Amino acid sequence: MRVFINRCRVIWLSLFLLTPMLFAMNGCQKKESRKERPKYDGTIVAAGDSLTAGLYVLENEAYPAQLEKRLLGDGYRYRVINAGNSGETSSGLLSRMKWILSMKPDIVIIETGANDGFRGVDPELTRKNIEGAVRILKSSGVTVVLAKMQIVQNLGKEYTEAFKAIYPAVAKKEGIIMTPFYLEGVAGNPDLNEPDGIHPTAAGYRIVVDNIYSSVIEAIKREKASHQPHSNSSVPE
Amino acid sequence: MLNSRFIRRELTSSPQQSIILVLCVALSMVTLVSLGGFSESVDSSLLRDARALHAGDIIVHSNYDLSSPLSEAISSLRRKGMIDAVRVYEFYSLVRAPDREGSILGDLKVVETGYPFYGTVELRSGRSFRDTLQKGGIIVEENLLGRLGLKVGDRVKIGSATLTILDVVTKEPDRPVNIFSLGPRIFISAEDLNEIDLVKKGSRVMYKALLKVHDERDLETVAADLSKTAMKGQEHVETFKTSESRIKRFFDNLLFFMSLIGIFTLLLAGIGIQSALTSFLREREKTVAIMKALGGTGRFITSNFAVIVSILGITGTILGLLISFSLQGFFPVLFRGILPGDVVPVISWSAVLQGIALGVMVVALFTFLPLYRLEDVKPASILGREEIRSKRGLLYYSVFAAALILSTVMVVWRFGEVKTGLYFVSGTIALIIISSLGAEFILLFMKKADVRSLALRQAFRGLFRPGNSTRAIIITLTASLTVISAIYLIELNLDADFIRSYPADAPNLFFLDIQPSQKDEFARTLGIKTEYYPVVRARIASINGEPVNPQDEQRRVGDDLTREFNLTYRDYLLSDEKIIKGKGLYMDGWDGLQVSVLDTVLKMRGLKIGDSITFNIQGVPLEARVSSIRTRIKASIQPFFYFVFPEKSLMDAPQTIFSAVRVEKERIPGLQNLMVSRFPNVSAIDMTEMVSLFSRVMGRLSVIARFFTLFGVVAGVLIVISSVLATRYARIQEAVYFKILGARSTFVLTVFALENIILGIVSAIFALIFAQVATWIVCKKVLEIPFTLFTGTSLIIILSAIFLATTTGLLASISVLRQRPVIFLREETKE
Repeated sequence: MRVFINRCRVIWLSLFLLTPMLFAMNGCQKKESRKERPKYDGTIVAAGDSLTAGLYVLENEAYPAQLEKRLLGDGYRYRVINAGNSGETSSGLLSRMKWILSMKPDIVIIETGANDGFRGVDPELTRKNIEGAVRILKSSGVTVVLAKMQIVQNLGKEYTEAFKAIYPAVAKKEGIIMTPFYLEGVAGNPDLNEPDGIHPTAAGYRIVVDNIYSSVIEAIKREKASHQPHSNSSVPE
Repeated sequence: MLNSRFIRRELTSSPQQSIILVLCVALSMVTLVSLGGFSESVDSSLLRDARALHAGDIIVHSNYDLSSPLSEAISSLRRKGMIDAVRVYEFYSLVRAPDREGSILGDLKVVETGYPFYGTVELRSGRSFRDTLQKGGIIVEENLLGRLGLKVGDRVKIGSATLTILDVVTKEPDRPVNIFSLGPRIFISAEDLNEIDLVKKGSRVMYKALLKVHDERDLETVAADLSKTAMKGQEHVETFKTSESRIKRFFDNLLFFMSLIGIFTLLLAGIGIQSALTSFLREREKTVAIMKALGGTGRFITSNFAVIVSILGITGTILGLLISFSLQGFFPVLFRGILPGDVVPVISWSAVLQGIALGVMVVALFTFLPLYRLEDVKPASILGREEIRSKRGLLYYSVFAAALILSTVMVVWRFGEVKTGLYFVSGTIALIIISSLGAEFILLFMKKADVRSLALRQAFRGLFRPGNSTRAIIITLTASLTVISAIYLIELNLDADFIRSYPADAPNLFFLDIQPSQKDEFARTLGIKTEYYPVVRARIASINGEPVNPQDEQRRVGDDLTREFNLTYRDYLLSDEKIIKGKGLYMDGWDGLQVSVLDTVLKMRGLKIGDSITFNIQGVPLEARVSSIRTRIKASIQPFFYFVFPEKSLMDAPQTIFSAVRVEKERIPGLQNLMVSRFPNVSAIDMTEMVSLFSRVMGRLSVIARFFTLFGVVAGVLIVISSVLATRYARIQEAVYFKILGARSTFVLTVFALENIILGIVSAIFALIFAQVATWIVCKKVLEIPFTLFTGTSLIIILSAIFLATTTGLLASISVLRQRPVIFLREETKE
């Protein structure tokens, strides 16, 4: 048996802040030195499971961080908060809508269902959950983007077809934006995925952002349009 | 030169020490041969079973279908006749009865004919797996029948095919024991791959190729060649030897513990030999003095005694071997069920040779000095009671050094590791030195002590009688007691770590992903009282204002701070937790959020009360101050949480709840169906298999360890007896004088008893302290398991040690008491 020796830790003072969400929104505010940062025009919350959280990659390589950078580059000043929760099912997502709303999002991107699939949860339940989540968001005036998902083929044709049908059904019923297949061009490609074959690498997430980008832009436009009347009114915010 | 009559006479006079010497030698033989042989055979059986655990010699696996170069390499090896190979596909899929709704997730394993190469898949019918599984049929775990309400002979819809249930699997050789399975096992023949149409692009499948090497010597080369052809990072080639598994690590611990016991026992046996030899030869001093007075040369004396000692040594060796051989038959009974296969304890001839060689060397070395001492016996000592002062010359020290080096080499060899071996030896030396110092101190105290009671005073004085070698006895007793106690305590700690991790009442059915809104109804439906653990997933954003840097954290070996953590909330400590810093879980009067931290976190980053941690709870930052540090006091099946918050503060955070219950195996499918139908988002995971396997295996471990501890105890007893016998003559004298002076037998008895009690107490207390220290070191540094003090047991050990020392001493002295003064004096003067 080896004697396991812990190495000394060297703590590096890091100057760059990893995520924009350190600027607290819930009232526990600290006076932090703020770098030169653009004022945001709005907030997008990326809600989802490990495919949002970015399991195995650094947080600034996961899709929300990459999306924010790309938006900024195109002149859209939106903060994108990573509210991904690895291992979460659609039921979990539904349960935490209040938490997500506490971040006062203008747009929420919902990416969920994969873990339901891996556990063999009834697609009908997944659909109901997603629908419920969308409704809560809509009633709070949030513009919703639903990421279209597919599940692995080994679960059987019946299941995979039913699963696939969830997203278009919800999008149509609720009148929300649906992206193209979230992992289009990424799924099944060993060069774009981690060794587990399911989670994209940083390069894979770049393609994910490509996939959903136009939907996000559309959401931004919709959201701006829905705010137009308000900005002209004399009602104080 | 050699006088056979002399030799014969010396051998038969004062048989006690001779017997003890023989027994000590025998014990070391048994230890070396049996334990050594056992470890060797366990090792080879483990390898054999590692094969079974992997169902093959070489395992190739990947999350993608095997690349062409790799497949081609495997096929070419097959064509050359060097290997057999079977493809195996593992994945989940939804299965259901053809005419019904309601599918469940099954854990599918599609295998080609030939699987498994090693180990057996056991079926309920008792038939052979290979003959039973065929195209169109499946073999399933019992749980599936219960969940779907089917029986053998019914059909199941899997993928695009409908297959018939042929049999039920009860045991699978290569099912990893520590993996959650989300559903019951289903074996399918590879001939149905196309029919089920589930393995294709877009599927998540574990693709495996199991290889059996025809010539064992080809194993490494074949594996190496295949590794070269395999795609880096994606395809893995492992042999049954290299594959990491929890079981293997557990057995590593077990084997280490056994070698530890082996060494300890050897040490004890060595001490016993040394003690017995010294006493044996010291008793002969008078004889030697006479011989010298009659003109016997040093050489004559030395060579004759050397022969005597050799004869005793050889007798011990032969006896030891005989006992080992007979024990061999006993071993299979003891170890049945512990190892996944049949352990065949073999007497390895190398162990036997080792034993003999070692025995000879040890006896020779240990004899040398006392024998050498004999040379210093002066004829004049016949007349007086002279303490023989032996010259501590160069020879003395070089022999001493040789003994030390030999022991070190032996220890290092046994451990297989230089560093550990050296630590062990230096620890032992430290032990001896400290015991000597301690002994000196105590003796000093006793000399100066002014005691009222006559018996006690005599007892004290008695410890200083010439030739009593109290010092030596204390050191010997302390050393042996330390060793025995250490073995026992380490075993108790191993016990606690492994066995209580999986107690008999460990939960076997886990429920995951219960939503907070469901909890009350879930509890009502379940109807079984159990604990519900809320889990809030979060990351750590910063500590004391410093952001957690992913690059640094991931470079660290082991756990890292950048991963997602499971936070929980409650206002009470779990039964296996204890606060080590802080007044309670949370501080009164603190504003803001608080969090109680588990001490494992401190291994990643030093933290103290009052430090602040900012968590990122799925996008929302939350800062909390450290209010206390907890630790786990025993390993248990209960989940442990690194961060615990007060209930009020995290109650509204996004969370899922998990729970676990223990139910009879038969109830599980029904319960799973019930809960999942009412709460379709909840996963119900059956852990019966894994839990029972572990508790069975671990339970047997303590039996084995205790059995081998017995060896140590036997050695210890022998040593005590030897030490007591060493002073027998002097005691007889004293007893006689006391009686002449008018003392009653009870008084004499009391004095002897007190002597032994004092010796026992002193040695036992020292021994226990050393043992606890040694145990702590072994547990924390070597085995890396939690350390418990076991005060109750420690006290029992002390008391037993004292009891043992006293009883043995008294028993040995009883005959002394019977001596009638007159007879003794008469015989005394006759000499």
